[in-house]
Amino acid sequence: MSGASNRLASLKSQLTSSTARDRLLQKNPDDIVVTCALRTAFTKGGRGLFKDTHAGDLLAGIFQGVIKTSGIDPALVEDISVGNVLAPGAGATEFRAAAIVAGFPTTTAVKATNRQCSSGLQACVDIASAISAGIIEVGIGAGVESMSNNYGPDAVSEFSELLNSVKKAKDCKVPMGVLSEQMAKDKGIARVNQDAFAAKSYQKAEAAQKAGLFKEEIWPIETSFEDPKTGEKKRVVVNADDGVRPGMTAEALAKIKPAFAKDGSIHAGNASQISDGAAAVLLMKRSTAQKLGQKIIGKFVTASVAGVDPLLMGIGPWASIPKVFEKTGLSKEDVDIFEINEAFASQCLWCANELGLDEKKINPKGGAIAFGHPLGCTGARQVSTLLTELRRTGGKIGVTSMCIGTGMGMAAVWVAEN
Amino acid sequence: MLSFRTTGFNGYAVKYSPFFDSRIACAASSNFGLVGNGRLYILNLTPQGIVAEKWFDTQDSLFDVTFSESNANQLAVASGDGSIKLFDATLNDFPIRQWREHTREVFSLSWNLVDKNIFASSSWDGNVKIWNPTAPQSLRTINIGSCTYSVAFQPSSPTVLSAVSSDGFMRVFDLRAPEPSAEIAKTRVSPGEVLTQDWNKYRPSVIATAGVDRSIRVWDLKMPSMCQTELVGHEYAVRRIAWSPHWQDVVLSASYDMSVRVWTDGSAQAGGAGPGTGRLLGVMDRHTEFCAGVDWCLFGGEGWAASTGWDEMVWVWDVGSTMGSR
Repeated sequence: MSGASNRLASLKSQLTSSTARDRLLQKNPDDIVVTCALRTAFTKGGRGLFKDTHAGDLLAGIFQGVIKTSGIDPALVEDISVGNVLAPGAGATEFRAAAIVAGFPTTTAVKATNRQCSSGLQACVDIASAISAGIIEVGIGAGVESMSNNYGPDAVSEFSELLNSVKKAKDCKVPMGVLSEQMAKDKGIARVNQDAFAAKSYQKAEAAQKAGLFKEEIWPIETSFEDPKTGEKKRVVVNADDGVRPGMTAEALAKIKPAFAKDGSIHAGNASQISDGAAAVLLMKRSTAQKLGQKIIGKFVTASVAGVDPLLMGIGPWASIPKVFEKTGLSKEDVDIFEINEAFASQCLWCANELGLDEKKINPKGGAIAFGHPLGCTGARQVSTLLTELRRTGGKIGVTSMCIGTGMGMAAVWVAEN
Repeated sequence: MLSFRTTGFNGYAVKYSPFFDSRIACAASSNFGLVGNGRLYILNLTPQGIVAEKWFDTQDSLFDVTFSESNANQLAVASGDGSIKLFDATLNDFPIRQWREHTREVFSLSWNLVDKNIFASSSWDGNVKIWNPTAPQSLRTINIGSCTYSVAFQPSSPTVLSAVSSDGFMRVFDLRAPEPSAEIAKTRVSPGEVLTQDWNKYRPSVIATAGVDRSIRVWDLKMPSMCQTELVGHEYAVRRIAWSPHWQDVVLSASYDMSVRVWTDGSAQAGGAGPGTGRLLGVMDRHTEFCAGVDWCLFGGEGWAASTGWDEMVWVWDVGSTMGSR
């Protein structure tokens, strides 16, 4: 039977909290908290400074960043889940090796997770759930993608005759660009609106970069880079996103030719960039963080996953965000910042409009259109981008969300602390 | 106003007997129900005031009580140790039966008014259980999934019941529906924890809910997505609400703000043509600590009610005099 302290805690919550927001802001010993969230800079696939860096190396670099920044004893980290989409076997083997390189002892377990573009978030959710269930005490949810090394026609395996024989099943392998073009057409998302949304992403990212707002979340990585012009190999320190084009306007984007259909609306300027990058989130119970003297920067509340029609994968956030609101009792007004992945301006814009979200709350530092979408990394990247901005602006509650290839969406609720 | 002091025990629930117009039961707990014993009082309204006819002491706190609808002397209590105990007012000291299935605090009980052979319990363990007082085990368990503060049978149905819980939802079940869930409706009724509910005694699809967010909301299950009326005024969580058995639009509420309030949901003025504008009719402010229990008298002059709270008091009072003119 529960003791007097449980009854007292229950009574206290009945007296003190009056709204879902208040309840979320309460601090309880069994909360799953974040004590460190970092990412690498994102650089352009095939051209950027990470083009010669393997996913495992990026991961080892961001792990070292987490160990140094948080001061966590690596031996206390019991499990690491790494989101990845493109590496063979989602990179399970190389990521285990990367953890060892980074300084984790062999007692720290590692797994790879692939839920397409939400892999990085799924990795964090897996670790948070394992901590709540008492399976582990301390863990890391991470994500990494080297699209320079692993992006290509091999990314999707051939479908069998059986899978191809069912229409909805076969739809799962329709390329993202093609289906998003169709969705933009069907849902009547005009190119001019997509370009305006995309230009805004660039402008917000440029302003944030100039103001140094990414400094706190980006851990610099030293790596080798071969200059394609001179063939010269050199050591470089990568500490800034290279995809952010200064001075971008909707007018400039209007000139770019559509990529997937002659009369289409989607092009390189209003879709997410192909990029390389890694991100990691250190998670544990509040009681553990307090015992270890870890600085708490936020808490994970809960997450939702929703399935949608494979050809309408772009509506994933529209399906998953209300689901996480229902679980938490939150409404859109309670949320200070939405980090919604900009896979395509078309789908992000449609979801935001359909949910009636305040434009000012969405991706205040820009998004994947401006600085890139390393597939398996994005979900973990959003955590650092979100928590730093919430803290800077005095906001509290944030939602991260994304659409997922094959027709799904995920959303998670986070609270910034301090 | 009549009163009785439950010395050393803080009141959690009060109920009028459906058989005797002078009998009231009060479930109370020592140390504010946090730790220690419970006591079930059987009170008698006499010309000399309220007299404790009998009391039963229990090992752990008591949070709710319900009279049997089939046996005039039996009543069940909900205990903090997860047990439900059935007492007989004609006997002394010990329960005539007890059930230990819930794994955490049992917080509410509701006897079915039509099928008088069953009652329901709800618990912090996230389950609702259906019982027959003569059976050693529960008849059925319905999993809610989060701390369930209240369960209530629909007063004119042998099988329909509702549960409200800490997740902010009201779920309605029909025991005729197939296992395991039997759920026939689920509505978010509050952004916060829901602590109490009561079915309207005249309109079979109308139910009121209330809880931590301080509002009382009236729902019509024919339109479950829309709150009919919201009654705002309590300064802290609402712990118990009860519709009047005499006036179809009047509801009583007991709150941690130490007041018991009387409200109309406005449906009387609306003349049955949809929801009206609810308003506060009166405040009973004699309690000096958290109010936790309130119930209406079914007999005699309409409008008598009893309330209890953490101030170790049971008050019996005329709601009509509190309301002033309607």
